[in-house]
Parts: sequence; structure tokens; C-alpha cells
Amino acid sequence: MIGNPKWFSRRKYTGWGFTPKTWQGWVYIAVIMLPIAIVASVNPEGTWTSVFLIIWALVFAVDFIHIMVGMRKDERERIHEAIAERNALWAILAVLIFALAYQTASGIAAHALTPTFDPFILAAIIAAVIAKAATNIYLDRKN
Amino acid sequence: MRNTIAQRRSELSMTQEKLADLVGVARQTIIALEQNKYNPSLLLAHAVVKALQKKRIEDIFTFED
Repeated sequence: MIGNPKWFSRRKYTGWGFTPKTWQGWVYIAVIMLPIAIVASVNPEGTWTSVFLIIWALVFAVDFIHIMVGMRKDERERIHEAIAERNALWAILAVLIFALAYQTASGIAAHALTPTFDPFILAAIIAAVIAKAATNIYLDRKN
Repeated sequence: MRNTIAQRRSELSMTQEKLADLVGVARQTIIALEQNKYNPSLLLAHAVVKALQKKRIEDIFTFED
């Protein structure tokens, strides 16, 4: 693996992921971005450019996962993260449920015979329910 | 729960950073503990007591109703 989790800190206030906290972290970001900028500016339309960019993105996607998994969190930080993620999920669910209700109501108002809501919204809610149930089953068995 | 971490750390001339490294937590967690804003798990309380060279949890932590 290329990146060291110690070079980064967990992004807390501006979304998800990580942000550099040491100069090595900034060098790592530059190492990723520089070749992309060079290749894309030299030959933006080429097939090999696309192949390079896909391989480059895959390598660093795996490395990003390694950094995220390896980032140290103590018990207090875990609790904070769990509560923050739960609240984020509630916000997402509220918007999804509103969207589902709005689309269904719009369909009824338009006298549609079949449901007119976006099935991906329903799929997202069902996936969240499954993920929650699976996590609780795993945690109940673990401790 | 209250504690005497800051006092004991001062007696040992130990920085918050050093204590955080010894018990494997972030410095912010030590700050929260010292300000009685966070109640640690038994595991962390035990690690803190050990790092501060005391034997019993009651030597550092005081339980209050």
C-alpha cells in the first residue's frame, strides 16, 4: 500500500473520507493528482489516457480504502462517529421518504394507474433496512 | 464520574500527548476526560490508571450518583 493512515485525519465537518494532516499527506495527494493532470493535458482524447486513468483510479481507490480502514479511532471518536453517521442517515431517510411520498402523491394527482415513484428511492430505503438488520444481528452475536 | 487525571499527570510531569500515546487514544479524548465531559469504558479507565502508575481505578476515578 502507498498511503499511510497516520498522514490523514477523518473528515468530520465537510462530508466523508479523509483530509491530509501532515506534509506527507499533501505529497500523497500531489502524487495522485499530478500524473492525472499531465496525462489529461498531453493527450486528453487518447485511448491509453483512458486506460491509464482507469488503472490509476482503481489503484488509489484500493489505497483509499486501506487508509480509511487503518485510520485509528479511539472509543470516544467511535461513539461520536456512530452518532454523526446515524444523524446523517436520518437526514437522508427523511429526504428519501419525502421524495417517495411526493412522487406517489403526484402520480395519484395525475390519475396514474401504476405507481410513478422512482424505484431506486425505494431500493435505497430497503437496502438501509437490510444493512441495519444485518449489523444488529452481527453485533448481537458478537457481544 | 470525576477524576484526578490532570493532577496526577502534573505530578508525573506527563503531557496530555504522552498520556494519549500510552493509552492509545487521541489527545482530544484526554482533554475530554480531564474536563469530566466523557465517561471512559472500564478498559480505557484501567489503561489510564496503569499509565498514571496507580493500581486501582478508584485511585483516579470517583463514581458519583
